[in-house]
Amino acid sequence: MDALEIKKLRKTYRSQKGQKETVALRGIDLNIKQGDFYGLLGPNGAGKSTTIHCMSGLTIPTKGTIKVFGDDAVADPTVARQHVGLSPQEVMSLDWFLSVEETLDYHGGYYGMPKKLRKKRIEELLDAFSLQDKRKQNPRGLSGGMRRRLVIARALMHDPQMLVLDEPTAGVDVELRLELWHYMKKVNKEGKTILLTTHYIEEAEQLCNQIALINHGKIVETGTVAELKKKFKKKTLEDVYLSVVGREELQRTAEADEEGQETP
Amino acid sequence: MTFNFRRFSTVLKREFTRYWNIKRQTLLTPLLNTYLYIGIFGAALGSRVGDLEGFSYIVFILPGLVMMALAMGAFENNSSSLFQMRFMRAIDDQLASPLSSLELLAAYTLGGLIRGSIVAGITLVTASFLIDLPLADPVLFFGGLLSVGLFFALLGVLAGVLADQFDQISLYTSFILQPLIFLGGVFYSVSLLPEVFQTISHFNPLFYMINLVRHGMLGASDVDPWLSLGLVLLGCVVMFLVNYRIFQTGYRLRS
Repeated sequence: MDALEIKKLRKTYRSQKGQKETVALRGIDLNIKQGDFYGLLGPNGAGKSTTIHCMSGLTIPTKGTIKVFGDDAVADPTVARQHVGLSPQEVMSLDWFLSVEETLDYHGGYYGMPKKLRKKRIEELLDAFSLQDKRKQNPRGLSGGMRRRLVIARALMHDPQMLVLDEPTAGVDVELRLELWHYMKKVNKEGKTILLTTHYIEEAEQLCNQIALINHGKIVETGTVAELKKKFKKKTLEDVYLSVVGREELQRTAEADEEGQETP
Repeated sequence: MTFNFRRFSTVLKREFTRYWNIKRQTLLTPLLNTYLYIGIFGAALGSRVGDLEGFSYIVFILPGLVMMALAMGAFENNSSSLFQMRFMRAIDDQLASPLSSLELLAAYTLGGLIRGSIVAGITLVTASFLIDLPLADPVLFFGGLLSVGLFFALLGVLAGVLADQFDQISLYTSFILQPLIFLGGVFYSVSLLPEVFQTISHFNPLFYMINLVRHGMLGASDVDPWLSLGLVLLGCVVMFLVNYRIFQTGYRLRS
């Protein structure tokens, strides 16, 4: 069974006050196998977050089907949502009336976890994300990096089968980025399927065993990093990406090769 | 339509945590306002007004004040809580979870109802130490208060979902709710008004609510209390169905 099966997914945002309708997704098909570390790459506005929001219930698709571990995320979302842990792009979306510990505890409650299990899981996550000494603190008092840890810990609280990370390393320092990479790899090795969107191509190259490139609301290419490089006859995934989004003039490898310089 | 008690009670607890964390604003301020009304209109001015429908002025206005405290508390809690949750996108954590529309709506509604009831309850208890309060019909009094609180809690949920800006919620309170409450007869009996204004008052839903609660406490009312109770309950059903539809479709909650 696939972890995620998206078929002909379309999303059109209705016009507001004289603005035109916006077609965010134009018929997306995507299959993610159980245990995959799947990267969804594309420029801003390509439809990455809309795809993620459709599968996690924050956006209502206009058309199409989404199945998460075989459960319909559109027609019967209650069961499907149980399988997904969403780490949103926006760390400011934490509940500012709750402490770090309460953030995790209440999240567990929203997923129907019993109190005893929640207590145990909170300790595990506070340890794993080095948040023990911040447990009573309000998210307002946390640094951006700490908030990012908390958002990811929260996504893992109910022990979902699939972790969805929407640009998890945006705006974090190198140490935290590497720390998060390490943790994501560990979680994936333990059997969780991960869907990652990122603007850092090297991040996808390092972490993902499968990549989908999305542009203008459509999946343009899918495959492993090696398959994509081979297909596009490029040396790096970044060059593949630039070809797909139609910005080949920005390619750094070709330029460096021509000038006999080292690739930056 | 699924209902899981643990999920529901977590959202309810979150609501309680929210207003308990800011209790000066959510509990003490409305209590102070109510005591000021009792002090100024009841004790200071009331002695010059004399009796109304056989009761001292302070006793006459008290049921309306208790109802007002309950209604405003329930409305303000839910409208501001839901608006803040939407504005900060903190509601996404709830919307992405398996919480059903019924669980979410019930928890927010009850959260506001409890906050309003705390304020109304403290007002009532403290007033009972100072004034000899009658209780003509406990079923109608408490049943009436509960149904009015429920209506305003549901109205607050609707306002919190529909508001685009925080100012809008203040506008609903200042330009719609408070005028309707004051003109519904909290501080006077509508029977004292000229006939044309009496007729107009009958189109004000708050008139029925105030009279329902007043009848429960004093046994005196400008209108049949059972008609009032029926209308308030009908209002609750309509408001519940509207809100449930909103939560089901995700209107202004999910994009």
